[in-house]
Amino acid sequence: MKSAEGRGRTLDEAVDAALIELQESRRNVDVKILSETPEETLVEVTVIDQNAPTPDTMPAPANGKAEAAKSLVEGLLKHMGVRAQVSVRTGSDPITLDISGRDLGALIGWRGETLRALQAVTNVMVGKHLAEGERVIVDVERYRQRREHTVREIAMRAARQVKMTGDAITLDAMQPFERRAIHLALEGDPDVTSSSIGEEPERRVVVGPRKPAGE
Amino acid sequence: MAGGPAANRIRKAIALVNSVADEAGDEEVTPTEIAEAIRDCLELSEVDEVPNVRRYLGEALDAVSDGMPADFVAMTLYAALGALREGGQN
Repeated sequence: MKSAEGRGRTLDEAVDAALIELQESRRNVDVKILSETPEETLVEVTVIDQNAPTPDTMPAPANGKAEAAKSLVEGLLKHMGVRAQVSVRTGSDPITLDISGRDLGALIGWRGETLRALQAVTNVMVGKHLAEGERVIVDVERYRQRREHTVREIAMRAARQVKMTGDAITLDAMQPFERRAIHLALEGDPDVTSSSIGEEPERRVVVGPRKPAGE
Repeated sequence: MAGGPAANRIRKAIALVNSVADEAGDEEVTPTEIAEAIRDCLELSEVDEVPNVRRYLGEALDAVSDGMPADFVAMTLYAALGALREGGQN
């Protein structure tokens, strides 16, 4: 996977420096902050594999469950009259199915609602093939992956602001997988902490300064 | 997007179920809370105005009581939401 390091006075400058080196756009990359001081930010920018190998170009690892799930989703899409390709994302745990094709916006729906419904149906259909607690993730045109990257960037920006001001920030209401992405993105940060407030579907993440132990 | 009171209450129930299925790890949702959210939907007369909505909600409530997987409950609630949406278009 292609990656590059970037330095700059701000996070944006550092990311831009790496993007120039990679000749990529921001939506196609994952950003990891390596170090951050008031003078300089160092990031590692990794290109997301937009053209993940499909079964036509590179066979997925021998995984009966994934293949069963793929075949069931293909059948479901056929019944729905949707022309799309389904592939198993390689090296992903849990099993992730990527659906790609043209004009699949309707399959994503309002705030990903249709996509989430599709995933629920898929998990019910393949349930007998899965172990307890095991689940299949369904993604359409990398929508879910892009959202995770977006919210991670939001988390990083919020964390920077919290470090500068010392004040907590409440983010917009998000879905569970988005909140989890934020909690995971910030769990290793020694200076900030994340928690959630409110009730579904208006539950929001709060990013605040981490208080020293014993305080 | 269907935006009536019933649709909003069904969405709230779905969000609760999804938070169990997706495991955000920042809240604990009990089956009782999910059941309450579904009962809140059933209280609205709007669910009787469109065929099958009450039936799907009843099935979702039964699924919660029977301890069915979160995805099954979610799927049934999506069916109710879909029926409501289709009914609203007619």
